[in-house]
Amino acid sequence: MSSVSPVSTAAPSVIKVQKTEQAFLSLKGLHKSFGPYEVLHDVSLEMHKGEVLAIIGPSGSGKSTLLRCINQLSPPTAGSVSMDGVTIEAGCSSSRNDLVKLRRRIGMVFQSFNLFPHLTVLQNVSLAQVRTMGRSKRDADKKSLELLDRVGLANKAELYPARCSGGQQQRIAIARALALEPELMLFDEPTSALDPELGLEVLAVMKELANEGMSMIMVTHEMHFAETVSDRVVVMAEGRILEQGISREVMRNPQHERVVQFLRAVRDR
Amino acid sequence: MFDVFKAMLDGVPWTIAVTLLSFTIGCLLGFPICWLRMSPFRVISFATASLVLIIRSIPPIVWLFFVFFGAGGGLLNLSPIAAAVTGLGIITAAQMSEVYRGALSAVPVGQYEAAHVLNLNARQRFVDIILPQMLRIVVPSAATYAISLLKDSAVASTIGVTDISAVAYQVTQQTFKGIEVYTTAALLYLLLSVPVALFSRWLGATLNTRISK
Repeated sequence: MSSVSPVSTAAPSVIKVQKTEQAFLSLKGLHKSFGPYEVLHDVSLEMHKGEVLAIIGPSGSGKSTLLRCINQLSPPTAGSVSMDGVTIEAGCSSSRNDLVKLRRRIGMVFQSFNLFPHLTVLQNVSLAQVRTMGRSKRDADKKSLELLDRVGLANKAELYPARCSGGQQQRIAIARALALEPELMLFDEPTSALDPELGLEVLAVMKELANEGMSMIMVTHEMHFAETVSDRVVVMAEGRILEQGISREVMRNPQHERVVQFLRAVRDR
Repeated sequence: MFDVFKAMLDGVPWTIAVTLLSFTIGCLLGFPICWLRMSPFRVISFATASLVLIIRSIPPIVWLFFVFFGAGGGLLNLSPIAAAVTGLGIITAAQMSEVYRGALSAVPVGQYEAAHVLNLNARQRFVDIILPQMLRIVVPSAATYAISLLKDSAVASTIGVTDISAVAYQVTQQTFKGIEVYTTAALLYLLLSVPVALFSRWLGATLNTRISK
């Protein structure tokens, strides 16, 4: 729901989300500038609990910045982010409490994994549970092993991340984010640094999460994955949302000229 | 020769004391200086950078005379050892603050971001995530500096600390065996430096094997 241009309006055919009245996440009029450069222009977006949103678009279109504005890793210059009762207004000095509340409910997975190299895989997943959730080390390790098992890596628990492949590191990063029991997961190009085969391991874990009803926003260049796994696709260019709608409709029948051009370029590659 | 060596040993504890104390003070004081140097407030950052530059530009002997005869002569009543430790400690702090600053910049931004999104507070981010990675980068430079400080500690003899160099001077005056005395002094500095170098190499290797185990 950008101010610029909505929206593919085709009727939702296979939406698995049970939409509630009120939006689970609501972004209103987000602007983000780095010095004189405005990288997000008045972006507004809503999503419902359990929804899977894919953000696609050319490089430099502000997709990752939008993701970082949601969890305030890069606070917006103007606008607001609301999530289930917690609202952070840009420019107002939000209390540390509100920031913590917001961040506690949002997990994030980065393109470059960002595992802590000096900690073992198990310590990577357990650390924040002990520090921020008050879990005992024993409980945290138990939970971490369950999650590592879920992403197929329980046997790597005692290794350091440097001994794991890129795909494994990214799955560990997903387990680390899930350990804090987030209600929303943000994925910032999680497979871009991986070769296609290793990327598949990660996509499989993400697909499983989506099927389990996790609310997810992913910035991705995996067009097939965006079309088949997400409920809704948001296309961005030059810091604006150009088009959004049911994944299949947007991908197969885009309305905006720039989106047509972008999708054609991706397909012809 | 053995008598010379035995006499020279009297200076060793003082050399070790001056080096260890000033290195410890410098390592600790380096953190707040680095923090001020990296302040987002330009005035604070500029003032700290200027101070660090001044301290690093003054030769240790001039700095020590300033502390002992200047501050110590008029304002404070400092013993030679206290003046030596204070003076060399401040020089070490300025040096270490730059080493820390370099190490902090070398920790990838993604590590700070990951710590943020995991909701770790500022203290946890520093102690659990940044500090261990930073120390790995700091160890080799710190060890090199410690060895250089061990040698520079000889300037403490000029203000009356009876370290290896001071004892060497005294023994030479009494025995006129300059070659033997100063060869022994060089040997003692070498014997003290080698363990620091070996320890640093071992520590660096251990930390690096841990992360690629």
